[in-house]
Amino acid sequence: MTVVVAHKWAPNPQEATVAPGGTVDLSRAKPAVSEYDPVAIEVGRRLADAWGCELVGVSVGGPEIAAPMARKAALSRGLDRLVVVADERLSGAGATPTAVALAQAVGEVEDVRVVLAGDSSVDEGAHLVPSVLAGLLGWPSLAEVADVTADGGALVVERAQGSGSQVVRVDGPAVLAVAADAAVPRVAGMKDILAAGKKPVVELPLAGELPAQPEVVGRAPVPLAERGRRRIDTTDPDAAARELVAALRADGVL
Amino acid sequence: MDFSLTDEQELLLESLRELLERSCSEEYMKECNEQHRYPEELVEALIESGFGMLGVPEEYGGTPVDTVTLMLVAEEICKQGGPHFVFGQALSIADMVEFGNDEQREQCMAEVMAGKPGFVLGFTEPQAGSDSSAIATTFTRRDGKVYINGHKTFMSNALRAKYMLCLARDAEAAGDAGKKAAFTMWWVPMDSPGVTVEPLSKIGWHMMDTCEVYLENVEIEEKDLVGVEGAGFMQLMANFEVERLLMAASMLGMAECAFGDAARYATQRVQFGRTIGSFQLIQEKITMMKLKIENMRNLVMRTAWKIDNGESVQVDSALAKLYCAQSCNEVIDDAMQILGGIGYTTDARVSRLWLDARVQRIGGGTDEVMIHIAGRTILKDYAV
Ligand SMILES: Cc1cc2nc3c(=O)[nH]c(=O)nc-3n(C[C@H](O)[C@H](O)[C@H](O)COP(=O)(O)OP(=O)(O)OC[C@H]3O[C@@H](n4cnc5c(N)ncnc54)[C@H](O)[C@@H]3O)c2cc1C
Repeated sequence: MTVVVAHKWAPNPQEATVAPGGTVDLSRAKPAVSEYDPVAIEVGRRLADAWGCELVGVSVGGPEIAAPMARKAALSRGLDRLVVVADERLSGAGATPTAVALAQAVGEVEDVRVVLAGDSSVDEGAHLVPSVLAGLLGWPSLAEVADVTADGGALVVERAQGSGSQVVRVDGPAVLAVAADAAVPRVAGMKDILAAGKKPVVELPLAGELPAQPEVVGRAPVPLAERGRRRIDTTDPDAAARELVAALRADGVL
Repeated sequence: MDFSLTDEQELLLESLRELLERSCSEEYMKECNEQHRYPEELVEALIESGFGMLGVPEEYGGTPVDTVTLMLVAEEICKQGGPHFVFGQALSIADMVEFGNDEQREQCMAEVMAGKPGFVLGFTEPQAGSDSSAIATTFTRRDGKVYINGHKTFMSNALRAKYMLCLARDAEAAGDAGKKAAFTMWWVPMDSPGVTVEPLSKIGWHMMDTCEVYLENVEIEEKDLVGVEGAGFMQLMANFEVERLLMAASMLGMAECAFGDAARYATQRVQFGRTIGSFQLIQEKITMMKLKIENMRNLVMRTAWKIDNGESVQVDSALAKLYCAQSCNEVIDDAMQILGGIGYTTDARVSRLWLDARVQRIGGGTDEVMIHIAGRTILKDYAV
């Protein structure tokens, strides 16, 4: 039995710059394990510990994901070993080619019981990869997973549904997209970081062709709303508060 | 010359930033400072993630790292607004690992692991500040027991610590003969009868207590001797250089914290229709602050590198402590100036840094003592 976590090596959004036109520039942002993926790793670690099995990370992307720093960053967060597919053709790849390569990597891991993924990648944010991967593997896919527990060999999955939640029992293998607040990832200490350099990493060549990728031909920033420039006289605080609430209601904010 | 960090150092600093983001927010620091409360939650988080035992040998449950890494961590904690004293217990443990017996070592380690200070460092006395040889606390042997008598002052953490590493002179040793050889270190439980603790009221460093400690016929055992009798002074000095450097690294971090706040403010605050950062007088401050920070970093990291390479740092560590203490105060003072009135309120953490930084020119050896140490040693090289 093995628990797999798919994770991405992506630019750190905290280092992004926003150009005056509103476009986000990630080109100079240092890469890191994509923001929400450590949550999936944490959930995976707990599950693997409950089952007493191995936690394997899979990551696909451009050549930079095979760099020692990328490997150690992921492994220090609690993975036992890593399978990577690093290929120029996967640089900046969209959801479908990424899922195809991930399916290949997952296929190399024996006896996979579950593949966990983060809520979405921090740079693309398509929320698609886990579902496409599940489709390729022929497994069920559940998103917005708030909690996963082991019940014997089965999984009990709690997931958000509308404003409520749902508990699902999964017997066979599945792909789960873990919600960003499902767990607080542990902070790697020096021991974990030093150990990460010694954990096994398998680098697979990309097998076969990747599906063609749709081309982005235009982008528009979120249009900025015009400023209201309304002034509220605050001499009478009660009246001012009422006026503010009324104005916010009128604009549909409240 | 390679100034780059290793992957491991970068990952460690990233982890640390993540931890501090969660456990050391500005509001939390403000609250601890206002309530004069030790930041226990932060210390617990640091211990849980292994930072508490960073630099401690593996056989004692720690993770050994080089001096450069220790300094990087100390710098980062303060750079993110954390207090300097939550890190560096490894160095106090080092004293005990080197000189303590198994029992003392275990007791010290258990305290550190529980987020408490390993011990109170007990050397300063009312008449013995810079001049440690004036220490008058005595130990006397009577009926198979040892009795400590004296008055220690400026004892950091005396309210919270379970033990004191107490420097005392042999009551029997007559006169000034063999002055330094008369000092011995003792492991004194702070809850022993005869120990009285009275907190001092300070203008800063509110998160950590500093106290007067009176020792009146405090009875301890022969086994409470630390290291070698008569070698107390030398033992005390053994780790001073790296401890000074740790202070310097923290001061570098404090300066960077204030600098970041001031530089951000300069790009936002508008007066006379422009950001204040567009005025050359503000740019001059920003530039000189940055220059001092770079100098501090170079001194700290190069000295750490020398320690890791087995070189002597007697002069370097004194220079680093002296320069960082002075420059850190200058940088923080300029940061307050850039923030204007807001900087003088408790809403701006620069005001806390301003108060906390001042003591760094006094504690751990004053500026003047650093000059005394460095000056005479530098001149020795030129003696004809
Ligand atoms: C907040 C705080 C925490 C502290 N924590 C501890 C602790 O945990 N344990 C501990 O043992 N001590 C502690 N200390 C004490 C600290 O180490 C001393 O304050 C320091 O060594 C200076 O001693 P002093 O205050 O007696 O000043 P003094 O030595 O009296 O110095 C007064 C002035 O005279 C100058 N001076 C002294 N000698 C010379 C000289 N030869 N040449 C030129 N100038 C000279 C000094 O530089 C200083 O400017 C702490 C102090 C503070 C303020």
